[in-house]
Amino acid sequence: MTFVLTAVGAALAVALELFESLAIVLAVALTRRPSAAIAGAVAATVACGVLAVVLGPVLVARFGGDALHIVVGVALLLFGMEWLRKGVLRLAGRRARSDSYAEFLAEREALEAVPSPPPGRFDWPGFVIAFKGVLLEGIEVILIVTVLAARPGGLAPALAGAGAAVVLTVALGAVLHRPLRRLPESELKYVVGLVLTTFGTFFCAEGLGVHWPLGDAALLVVLAAWLVVSQAAVHALADGGRRAAEAAA
Amino acid sequence: MRTLRKLVLGETWTLPLGIAVAVGIAGVLRLVAGPGGWWEDAGGWVLLALLVGAFAVALRIRR
Repeated sequence: MTFVLTAVGAALAVALELFESLAIVLAVALTRRPSAAIAGAVAATVACGVLAVVLGPVLVARFGGDALHIVVGVALLLFGMEWLRKGVLRLAGRRARSDSYAEFLAEREALEAVPSPPPGRFDWPGFVIAFKGVLLEGIEVILIVTVLAARPGGLAPALAGAGAAVVLTVALGAVLHRPLRRLPESELKYVVGLVLTTFGTFFCAEGLGVHWPLGDAALLVVLAAWLVVSQAAVHALADGGRRAAEAAA
Repeated sequence: MRTLRKLVLGETWTLPLGIAVAVGIAGVLRLVAGPGGWWEDAGGWVLLALLVGAFAVALRIRR
């Protein structure tokens, strides 16, 4: 069960971040030159790969035992609770929904204002935009997957989930940009927040000397608790928003 | 650096501060409970409750 939850959490987090990168790379490729977009994306992927190779062993070497559990747990809580907070605000209508297609359109419009270089010259502005877009989303992916993989037994499911997500996203991106429009991104990001927050709570408590009743099965209880709390927050915030709108009317 | 800070700590200071306070209080409670005390069995739920409180503060939910 821990394997499945880790793989699902890693896969969803990686896929969603890659979709955001894809929106930027597609915008560069369609409005400027595909070569600059591909070169920028590949260069950023290599940079992220180097970061992943360095970060994982450093994390495991510097922290061992309970300290590793606490570091991993707190890192997962930082990412997970932030994704969950944004997810709750989006589902309650207090924040704009996550929409990679809208980002793609906005990025494409912004790029059309930047003049392209003359024929025969490399498109450095396009390269930099694609590189920066992939690098920033990639760093978050690397941090989340590294932290999920750093805990005992986490390497295989985290890499399996991340690998599946990369293949799926690249395949969808290669077909068309239309999949960007159909993805329920806000709901998926909320689920990622739930999974990461659940793992964070579980491992942080283990690092603090807790022996969970039911062992790994306690993950499901913690997940259910966060689901109830976050759904209650969605309803409370949505009701508050409705009351404020009625009072203003 | 600002972008990296936003990536790791998020958009607000309330949430990372709340997590730090919750984990800090949990650490103190573990010390107070001592080895083999109630903390080993119930500490996970206490930490969960502290984190839920931090989450509610970050969302600024008021009744």
